[in-house]
Amino acid sequence: MKYGFIIDNRKCIGCHACTTACKSEHDVAVGVNRTYVKQIEKGEFPDTRRIFSVMRCNHCTDAPCVEICPVEALYTREDGIVDFDNNRCIGCKSCMQACPYDALYIDPDNNTAAKCNYCSHRIEVGREPACVTVCPEHAIIAGDMENPTTEISQLLARQAVKVRKPEKGTNPNLFYIDGDDASLVPEATDKSGPSLWNSQARGVGHFAKSAEKMMHTNGDVDLLQMTIDNDIQAAYQKKETENPNYIDVLTGKARRVYDTPDKGILWGWEVSTYVFTKAIAAGAFLIPFLAIMLGYEVSTTAKLWSAGISLTFLALTGLFLVMDLDRPDRFLNVLLRPQWNSWLVKGGYTITVFGLLVTVWGAMSFFNIKQGETILLWVTAIFAILLAIYTAFLFAQAKGRDFWQSPTLPLHMLVHSVMAGTAIFVITSLIFGNESWMSILKNTMIIALVVNLFTLVTELTITHPTTAAKTVVKMITKGRYKNLFWMITVLIGNLIPLALMFFGTGELVLVASAICVLIGILITEKIWVEAPQRIPLA
Amino acid sequence: MGYKKPSFIENMAEKLGIIPNLHKEGYQKFDGDMRHFTDEEVAQLYENFPPPEKWDNWVEYNPKVWPKKEKKTYQIVPTTCFNCESACGLTAFIDKETQQVKKFEGNPYHPGSRGRNCAKGPATINQITDPDRILFPLKRKGKRGEGEWERISWDEALDTIAARIRKAIKEDRRNEIAYHVGRPGHEKFMNWILQGWGIDGHNSHTNICSSGARFGYNLWYGYDRPSPDHSNAKFILLVSAHLESGHYFNPHAQRIIEGKMKGAKLATMDPRLSNTASMSDYWLPSYPGTEAAVLLAMALIILQKGLYNRDYLENWTNWQEYLEAKHSDKEVTFENYIAAMIEEYKEFTPEYAEKESGVKAKDIIEIAQLIGEAGERFASHNWRAAGASNLGGWAVARCLHFLSVLTGAVGAKGGTSPNSWNKFSPTQPNAPKAQKVWNELHFPKEYPLAFFEMSQLLPHFLKEGRGKMDVYFSRVFNPVWTYPDGFTWMEMFLDESKFGLHTALTPTWNETAFHADFVLPMGLASERHDINSYATHGGTWVAFRQPVLREAARRNGKPVEFTYQANPGEVWEEDEFWIELSWRIDPDGSMGIRKHFESPYRPGEKITIDEYYQYIFERVKGLPEAAKKEGITELQYMQKYGAFEIEKGESYKLNEKPLTEEQLKGTEINPKNNVISKNGKDIGVMVNGKAVVGFPTPSRKNEFYSQTMVDWKWPEYSTPAYIKSHIHNEVLDKTKGEYVLVPTFRLPTLIHSRSGNAKWLVEISNRNPIWMHPDDAAKWGFKTGDLVKMNTDIGYFIDKVWVTQSMKPGVVACSHHIGRWRRPQDKIGNRWATNTVNIEGDGNGGWKMNTISGIKPFESEDKDSKRIFWKDGGVHQNITHAVHPDPISGMHCWHQRVRIEKPSEGENYGDIFVDTNKSHEVYKEWLSWTRPAPGPNGERRPLWFKRAFKPDESTYYIDKKK
Repeated sequence: MKYGFIIDNRKCIGCHACTTACKSEHDVAVGVNRTYVKQIEKGEFPDTRRIFSVMRCNHCTDAPCVEICPVEALYTREDGIVDFDNNRCIGCKSCMQACPYDALYIDPDNNTAAKCNYCSHRIEVGREPACVTVCPEHAIIAGDMENPTTEISQLLARQAVKVRKPEKGTNPNLFYIDGDDASLVPEATDKSGPSLWNSQARGVGHFAKSAEKMMHTNGDVDLLQMTIDNDIQAAYQKKETENPNYIDVLTGKARRVYDTPDKGILWGWEVSTYVFTKAIAAGAFLIPFLAIMLGYEVSTTAKLWSAGISLTFLALTGLFLVMDLDRPDRFLNVLLRPQWNSWLVKGGYTITVFGLLVTVWGAMSFFNIKQGETILLWVTAIFAILLAIYTAFLFAQAKGRDFWQSPTLPLHMLVHSVMAGTAIFVITSLIFGNESWMSILKNTMIIALVVNLFTLVTELTITHPTTAAKTVVKMITKGRYKNLFWMITVLIGNLIPLALMFFGTGELVLVASAICVLIGILITEKIWVEAPQRIPLA
Repeated sequence: MGYKKPSFIENMAEKLGIIPNLHKEGYQKFDGDMRHFTDEEVAQLYENFPPPEKWDNWVEYNPKVWPKKEKKTYQIVPTTCFNCESACGLTAFIDKETQQVKKFEGNPYHPGSRGRNCAKGPATINQITDPDRILFPLKRKGKRGEGEWERISWDEALDTIAARIRKAIKEDRRNEIAYHVGRPGHEKFMNWILQGWGIDGHNSHTNICSSGARFGYNLWYGYDRPSPDHSNAKFILLVSAHLESGHYFNPHAQRIIEGKMKGAKLATMDPRLSNTASMSDYWLPSYPGTEAAVLLAMALIILQKGLYNRDYLENWTNWQEYLEAKHSDKEVTFENYIAAMIEEYKEFTPEYAEKESGVKAKDIIEIAQLIGEAGERFASHNWRAAGASNLGGWAVARCLHFLSVLTGAVGAKGGTSPNSWNKFSPTQPNAPKAQKVWNELHFPKEYPLAFFEMSQLLPHFLKEGRGKMDVYFSRVFNPVWTYPDGFTWMEMFLDESKFGLHTALTPTWNETAFHADFVLPMGLASERHDINSYATHGGTWVAFRQPVLREAARRNGKPVEFTYQANPGEVWEEDEFWIELSWRIDPDGSMGIRKHFESPYRPGEKITIDEYYQYIFERVKGLPEAAKKEGITELQYMQKYGAFEIEKGESYKLNEKPLTEEQLKGTEINPKNNVISKNGKDIGVMVNGKAVVGFPTPSRKNEFYSQTMVDWKWPEYSTPAYIKSHIHNEVLDKTKGEYVLVPTFRLPTLIHSRSGNAKWLVEISNRNPIWMHPDDAAKWGFKTGDLVKMNTDIGYFIDKVWVTQSMKPGVVACSHHIGRWRRPQDKIGNRWATNTVNIEGDGNGGWKMNTISGIKPFESEDKDSKRIFWKDGGVHQNITHAVHPDPISGMHCWHQRVRIEKPSEGENYGDIFVDTNKSHEVYKEWLSWTRPAPGPNGERRPLWFKRAFKPDESTYYIDKKK
């Protein structure tokens, strides 16, 4: 048994009945939707058409949201329905990064993820989903695709159908008859400011809370600027006349005329900062480890500083991770209701185990216990590397974000860790004193920077397989991030420290380089986390 | 089917109480017995609606806590939607625990909507729970329009109003009492009330709505509405947007697509790309007001190519009369008829039509061919659109019906029937006789042919001193906002010598209710009684709107006496209100009013609402048998199912129904036209030697030639004609930026000014920019988002531009519905949808409105009110329109000549200005184009014309009255 949907565009009249029936069935909050009707127009008068596309969860056979969900809040039922349990959800929003279809949202009623669940509560009693019942045209067809007597399997057998983003390998179970790429492919049209009939001035979903907080400040302040930091904001700030959609009208290119409110950038500064602190936590261990392995003598003081820095930044990492959750009260679910395929869980355990190991090492160093240190160091090092790079695997699980699918991302994160580790020792040694092993810092930093530049170049220049990834690259190198990228990532974060270390000497030069490197990492991660989220998924 | 078993870690953590236990019993296991359907039914899924035997105890899982398997028990009670006129079936799911309506789904037993709804159906729940709704009767404090209200009792409202009506009737000021209705839909209930009071007191909204098309249809065949049989058609031609709006949007849209899926071709004439046009095989973007020219060109092609239905033309048009009247030199033969028609329309070549309309000649030819080939299976519809927008707009329906006549599609399967063939008409208890007064404020002499009340002119009539409204009810009616020239309405409402007592009967606040003395809350879809019957397809049905909580209480053995006892707050319903009011007007029966509202079952006692409907339902064909089969009364049957199918799609060609021998007794046949009459009344016609019913026209046939038009001084329109609109290209000065504004079109998500209380609908649509073609935008230097000043004949409004390829060049458009407002003193009222505005009058007819703030989030018991993410509430455009009553049909001609320009410094989005002196001048100008009564025999109106609330025949003769 396998449930699926057909949207029959020969019949859909774009009336939005499915939208309100769904809202009614599930009491969906204003601002967010489990299903909606995207509308685009294409062509030049009088050869113009308006195309309606019902958008919702695709109930994928290989659902990336299920795979990434750390707590099994999203799960695939035996009948193929991808359902969710908001009692487990921690509000990490990774499902919203993983879903290539923008099907999920944060329900402001309880700050947990939600989406179309095929009205499984109705399916259980033998009824069809509410949208199917209401549809005046019977343009939404639900049913068991494995039973040859059902309407859906007969239509699937006889009609040419399309799915959204088949290249994602998710195997969607929502099929469009007469689907049009101009509507089904998000990049075919630009996201713009106000639509024909609606407009957005405030945040929704995850951002509804902050919008509510500001409702009494000043009604006429455009609160959007404070709540959503994304393209739609730019579209509003720009005059409507500069909107890409407006330009497309003139050329007859497809343009959006109805869309639901933008949900904004869901992984904000907490996430990019946690990647940064995590790099320091791992690097602060890895650098002295490297020195020891190279045969240098590392003092107990330095070891204690290493463990101390590592644990401090690990704690900050944990703090930012929890702060990013829409349900911070449930953060323990990651460890206690683990879904082992999720890199969030693997990461969570890595953090925990690494933290324990470093604590043990610190204690051993403090009490001067030497027995078993080498083994402990090796095991800890493995976890430190895992700690440094696991986020790359988490990002890779976020299938919605093409740019994060880069194979060099683990290297990028590892190198950042090494850079961060050297930098932090350059700086902290000012306090606890120089040691002979620290002679490796400069060379390590130089090598790391060279490798870092190599990964940077690779990530940005390797031919990207999708337009979305290409757009992100453009956004970084030529678009809205160009100043941050060229000035901070490239110049301050890499070239200046390299130059300083090549041509300058002395402690101060090294310290200046270290500070530059840390700033560079922080900003690079901000760009890397933020930019891909500006690409509309639907 | 829950999620997997807990892992070891989770199990331990739950057992230790570190995290909540989500694996407790009942959390994820479900009962096998919860499946209400068989495996086969589940496999089909479609239409697995709860079976009626389970409606009193329907168990579903609670979606809000899912996947926790919490059972919810509902009582399902049917009713009908109260948003657009279609009255689609709804079923209220009442939570048995809380006795509150939880949601609305469709009603599969409703033959019109067949269990399905548009966006507005499910959104009914928003209207019920709207935090801004009016829950108690209110009386104004302070001056009218100041915005201060106090709660009163229903008794106080009833007694005050009844006393005032009683006084007016006793003083024979009957014409000072009026009931003015926006959303109708209770099949003759108000005839019963108002005629029971003996007043000509009905005023409607029809003249800003559909009376143009009605007039055009009526001239042909005595019926004023079409009932297209879309699902059986081969070709469908719409001068409308029935895939998104109009009567009857959802039912018709279902059947249009059904027809299309069966192979019918669809063509839509509309200057803008409506959703309907977009779904069509042919979009014909005609220049506004030229539709009739295109239709006549199609007619000419059908005639020239011989694609017409000869039998139908020969038997069912009054061609002999036509030839005798207009071609007396020719022999009366069918061939001469065809030749004469070809001669008459010879100028309407496809090329001429293209020049007029911009529709390509090639498309006109192709479509005419397809229509001809479709023959009887040609379905078509014009309701508002062009018919409601142009001087002579009524000619559009007339020319459209011409095509139906040529193809013989009138009343055919897959064709277009008169709506009355698919509509039920109730028989009421103690039915009153027709009133013996004629209210000239509603039907003035200047407009003898006006198909409905000249309601848009009421404020001008009052301004001129033609009379006053001592007791005026506005019922789900918002002329200040919806009508043209709202400021003149406002001026009159603010003048207590014009409107003595204004009572607003409304479920929700509106701009007109702000100017009332009493605001009386009336129930929504699930809070009131009405019966509905509409021509949605080739079939006839009756549906029952009912207060569902009252019905649930009855079923649960706790009946209430009045509906407001079961509704939220003290929200009542009109039916009971009117009965109660009627008794209080005539408490002792001395005025002859009370007797109409006495029980037909308990003589002398007040009729109950149940008795009223029982009486009607007993008289519905087939219903007593159906009820008997179930062992329940007719009323109980309707309470249970909410609808009854009287006739299932076989009522075609009813004009050919033979007269019975009984009917034929004592009849005479007019030798000239074969019309059969009995006791001076026409009852049928001889066709091919058979006595049949025919159509309710003087000739009992389709009147290609209308003697009526000749008799009433419009000989130039004796046959279907193309009338150049008041916004025809020739009258616009394009060099000055003059355009035609199409202001009428509707969205599938909204319904006039009644849906501002539905958050899910407003969330989807809340702004109304001006559609403009890129060429026009470039010409005047506009880009999307720029402000544009739209100068009308009487003022201006400032809106934003939306440049689009979906608009015909040379035409601009702005949707209806949006631009709702409240003033700072109106603390609540549709806050989902209203801008806050400042209104200033200069005391000399100059009125300014400007937007203080857009739509804002607000605190209320509904969590969503804080989540309002939109701010732009659009602009109110209708208030800047002058009245344009068509001199013949009386229909307001909605299209506006506008001059577009860039606003000057200091002018802002949403600014509005109107000079009501100018609007009064425009009224007088249009009035001067009329050709007033009397007509033949001193009549004020052709006797054969239908009239709403038709008065006694004696009132039809102007002189006799004197």
